[in-house]
Amino acid sequence: MNQKTQGSRLEIQSVNKFFGDFCALKDINLTIEPGELVCFLGPSGCGKTTLLRIIAGLEHQSGGLLHQGETDISLKPPRERDFGIVFQSYALFPNMTVTDNIAYGLRSIGMPKAQVRNRVDELLALVGLEDQASKYPAQLSGGQQQRVALARALAPSPGLLLLDEPLSALDAKVRQHLRGEIRSLQRQLGVTTVMVTHDQEEALAMADRVVVMNNGVIEQVGTPLDIYQQPASAFVASFIGAMNFIDSAPLNGQRVKVGNHELDLIRPLPTAEGCIQLAIRPEDVHLLPSGDGEWEGEVRALDYLGAFIRTLIRLSDIELDLVVDVDPRSARRLDLRVGSCVCLNLPSDALHCFAA
Amino acid sequence: MSESDPSKFSMIDSPALSKPTTHNRPTLAELRRRLAGRWVFALLLATGCGILILLVLAPLYTLLSKSVENKAGDFVGLENFAHYLSTGGIESAFFNSLWVAGLSTVIVVSLAFMAAWALTRTRLPITGWIRGVLILPILAPSLLPAISLVYLFGNQGVLKSWLFGAEIYGPIGIIMGSCFWTFPHALMILLTAMDNADGRHYEAATALKASPWRTFWTVTVPGARYGLVSAGFVVFTLVITDFGVPKVIGGQFDVLATDIYKQVIGQQKFEMGAVVSVLLLLPAMLAFIADRYVQRKQSASFTARSVPYRPRQDRKRDALGALMLTPTLVFIFAIIGMAIYASFVTFWPYNLDLSLNNYQFGRMDGGGWGAYTNSLQMALGTMVVGTVLVFFNAWLMERTPQSRLLTGVFQFLSLLPLAVPGLVLGLSYIFFFNHPDNPINGIYGTLFILILCTVTHFYAVSHLTAVTALKQLDQEFEAVGESLNASRWRVLFTVTLPLCLPAILDVALYLFVNAMTTVSAVVFLYGHDSQLASVAVLNMDEAGDIAPAAAMAILITATCAVAKLIQGVLRFWVDRSTRAWRQGTE
Ligand SMILES: Nc1ncnc2c1ncn2[C@@H]1O[C@H](COP(=O)(O)OP(=O)(O)OP(=O)(O)O)[C@@H](O)[C@H]1O
Ligand SMILES: [Mg+2]
Repeated sequence: MNQKTQGSRLEIQSVNKFFGDFCALKDINLTIEPGELVCFLGPSGCGKTTLLRIIAGLEHQSGGLLHQGETDISLKPPRERDFGIVFQSYALFPNMTVTDNIAYGLRSIGMPKAQVRNRVDELLALVGLEDQASKYPAQLSGGQQQRVALARALAPSPGLLLLDEPLSALDAKVRQHLRGEIRSLQRQLGVTTVMVTHDQEEALAMADRVVVMNNGVIEQVGTPLDIYQQPASAFVASFIGAMNFIDSAPLNGQRVKVGNHELDLIRPLPTAEGCIQLAIRPEDVHLLPSGDGEWEGEVRALDYLGAFIRTLIRLSDIELDLVVDVDPRSARRLDLRVGSCVCLNLPSDALHCFAA
Repeated sequence: MSESDPSKFSMIDSPALSKPTTHNRPTLAELRRRLAGRWVFALLLATGCGILILLVLAPLYTLLSKSVENKAGDFVGLENFAHYLSTGGIESAFFNSLWVAGLSTVIVVSLAFMAAWALTRTRLPITGWIRGVLILPILAPSLLPAISLVYLFGNQGVLKSWLFGAEIYGPIGIIMGSCFWTFPHALMILLTAMDNADGRHYEAATALKASPWRTFWTVTVPGARYGLVSAGFVVFTLVITDFGVPKVIGGQFDVLATDIYKQVIGQQKFEMGAVVSVLLLLPAMLAFIADRYVQRKQSASFTARSVPYRPRQDRKRDALGALMLTPTLVFIFAIIGMAIYASFVTFWPYNLDLSLNNYQFGRMDGGGWGAYTNSLQMALGTMVVGTVLVFFNAWLMERTPQSRLLTGVFQFLSLLPLAVPGLVLGLSYIFFFNHPDNPINGIYGTLFILILCTVTHFYAVSHLTAVTALKQLDQEFEAVGESLNASRWRVLFTVTLPLCLPAILDVALYLFVNAMTTVSAVVFLYGHDSQLASVAVLNMDEAGDIAPAAAMAILITATCAVAKLIQGVLRFWVDRSTRAWRQGTE
C-alpha cells in the first residue's frame, strides 16, 4: 500500500500581482486546509493561472505573503517549495518512457535505484498504468498521458498538488471518468490540492471548496452547495448556474417593491437606499395555472432540454422576461404552449438580493 | 446541481471592476527575489551579447570609422567616398554589381520556382534523388562553377562556339556561375514555402471549375509569394556579396566585391577598401531589412492548420514538370562533371589522358595538402565552437528567465551577421584584430581567428535554426523540472538537448560545409601557417594552375559530400532510435 502523504496547509495573505500597470490579482487572502481539494473557478483571464503559478513560485507576486505549513515560502524559488504540478499540456518529456517520466523527480533528489523502482511501480499501480510502463508519451492516449503527468507530479510525495486545467484537453467522456479518479486518488493520498478550471460543473463536482474569482479578486469562497445556494454576489449568482435578475426598490424593513407588487424577504437587505437586485433561479419559480398566482405572464418560448423544459415567460406587469425551468409533468398539467397565459409565484425563501 | 450555463435569457450583471488607484512599484524584497537564481542566466546571456559585440559590432565599427579616415588615421569626413566617386568607381563597380545581381536573381528565382513547382505539384518519380542533385551545388565552393565555366566556354573551352563570339570572362560568366551556386538557396526557401500547401484551396478551385492555368495564378503563386520574395532577397545578397565567381571569371568587369579585394590586396589601400565595403554593406543591409519585414508578415499568415496537398495523377503535367527540371539538372551535371573531368585530365587540352597529376598539390603554390588539412581543422573547429555557442546562447535566450531588453539586444546581434557580406566582415577583422592596441592581436593570422570569423559569418542562420527548434518544445518543461527538484541544467541535458539533436546535426553540417567552402571572409585573414583549401583554389587559379584549382575545388566538394553523408547517417540513426517516442507526434 502506498504511503499516505501528509498534505500541507497553505496560507495566502494579501497577494497582489501587477503586469506593468495591469492588476491581475488584487489583495488575495485564502487559507487552504491540509488534505483539502480547492478549485479556482472563474471566467477566462480572471487570474486563476496567475495565482496558481504564484503558489508554485513560477511567477512572483508583487506583494503579499505565502505560507506552506509553518514555512514562509514567499521568497523561495520553485525548487525549494514542496509541490507537484500538472499542466494543461501535461509537458511530459517525450524522449522518456512512462517509467522514466515518473522517476524523473525521484532521481533528482538522489533516491537509490531500488527505491525509485518500487516507488514508480507503486504509482503506476495507483494510476492503473502498470502495463504501459515502457511506452513513450506519444504512444499513449490523452487520458493515459494525463495519468502519467499526475503520477509524475505525485512521485516525490509533495505536500501540495497543483493542477492547471488538467482535464481541458480531453473529450467529455474521458473527462467525466478522470474527474472521479483524480478525486478519489486525492482523498486516498490526502494531498492538499489546488485545481484551476473554468468549467463550473467540474469545480462543483470535485471540490471541497470552490474559490470563485473575477477580474483578479476573490468573489466568494465556499462549498459547492454554498456557492450555488447562497451566492455572495450578483457575479457569482450569474456565473454559477442560471439566474434571473429583477430590479426593485427597498421599502422599510425587509420589504421591497417590484412594479406594483410588494415582496417580503427572509434575508436582510444589502442596502437601505437605492436600487437593489432580486435574483431567483429558474427552477425555484413556481408556475401555476392562469389566475391562481401573484404574477401574470405569457409564455414566449419553450426549450426541451431533456430532463426539464426551459421556458421564457414575459411578466406583463413589469415587462420583464423570466427564465423558468419546469419538469415535463407540470408542463403537461399546465398545458404550456407558446402564447398561453400562466401565473407564477416567487417564493421568498428562494429570493436572493444584491446591491445593484 | 443544475448543469446549465448562465442562460441566454437571464439578465446577467457583473459588478463593475474596481480599478487599482495606486500603482505598486516592486519593493526591494521583490527585486531581490526576482534576481535570485536568475542572475546566473542573465550574466551568461550578457556574456553571449559581449562575445557577439566583440565579434560583429566592434569590428564593423572600426571598419566604418576607417572609411572616414585617411592613411595616417586622421578624420577626413567623406573625402574617401568623394575620391572613390571621382575615380568612377560608382559608375562601374557599384552599378555593375547591382545589375549583375539583379539579373542573376531573376534567373535563379524563376528556375528555382519552376523546379519547386515540378517537385511539389506533379507526381514525378524519384523526386528524392532529384532534390539531392539540385541541392548539390551547396556543397561546392563558389569558385568551382567559375572554373568549370572556363573549361566549358573559355578560350580553350569545349563549347566556346555556343556563345556566338561573346566572352565568358565578364558579366555572362559571373551570372552563369552565380546562378549555379545560389540555386539551392532559392530552391530550399521555395520548397519550404510550397511543400506545406493547403489541399483545401486546390479542392475549392476545382469545385469552382477553375482551369489549371487559373488555379496556378490564383492559388499556387499567391501561396508561394512570400517564399518568392524571400528567395529573391537572399539570392540578390549572395550574388552581390560573392567574391569567388567574379574573381575567377569576371575578367576586366569590375564589381564591388572584386574592387574591395583589389584595393586591399592589390594596392594596400585599406581605407578605400573600407569605403567600398560600406557601399557593399548598404544594399546587403537593405535586402536584409526588407527580408525580415517580409518574414514577419509571413509568420502571421501561416497559423491555421491545413490539409496537405496531394497532386492528382496527370501525365501532361508530369511531362511539363520534367521539362522544367531538365535544363537545371543538365546545367548542374555539366558544371560538376566538367570540373571533375578537368581535374583528372593530364594537360588540357593537349593531353587528355586521365591521371592524378593535378592532385599532387605539393608541387603547386597555394599551400598544397597543408591547406587542405588546415581547412579541415578550421571547418571542424568552426563546427564545434559554432554549434556549442549557437545552441547555448539560443537556449539561454529561449529557455531561461531573461529580461526582454537583453533578449532583444541578443536577437539583434545574432541576426546582424546576415547583413554583413563576408568580405566586409573579413576586412573589418583586419582593422579590429590586427590593431596594435588590441590585446588579442596575437590571434591574427592563426587558425583561431579564421574559426571566429567563420562562426560569426554564419551565425545568424544557425541561430534561427536553433531558436526554431527550441521554441517548438513545450514551454512548461523547465517549470515541471523545477517542481521535480531538477535544475534547468538537468532539464537541458536530459530533455532539451536530446529533443534538439536533429537540429543540432543540421547546424553542425551547415557550419562545416560553409567553413570548407567559404572564401570571401577568410581571404584577408589567412596567414602563412593557416592557408586554406578554398583560398588555395583562388591562388592556384590566379597563378594559372587552373587544373589543380579544379582538383582542389573537387576535393572540397567531395569532403562536404562525405560530411553530408555522415550527417545523413547520423540523422537516420537518431530518427530510428527515437522513432518510438516520435510516433504519433508527426
Ligand atoms: N506575463 C503576463 N504579462 C502581462 N499580462 C499577463 C501575463 N500573464 C497573464 N496576464 C494577464 O493577467 C490576467 C490573468 O491571466 P491568467 O492567465 O491568470 O488568466 P486565467 O484566469 O488563467 O484565464 P484562462 O481561463 O483563460 O486560462 C489576464 O488578463 C492576462 O492577460
Ligand atoms: Mg489559465
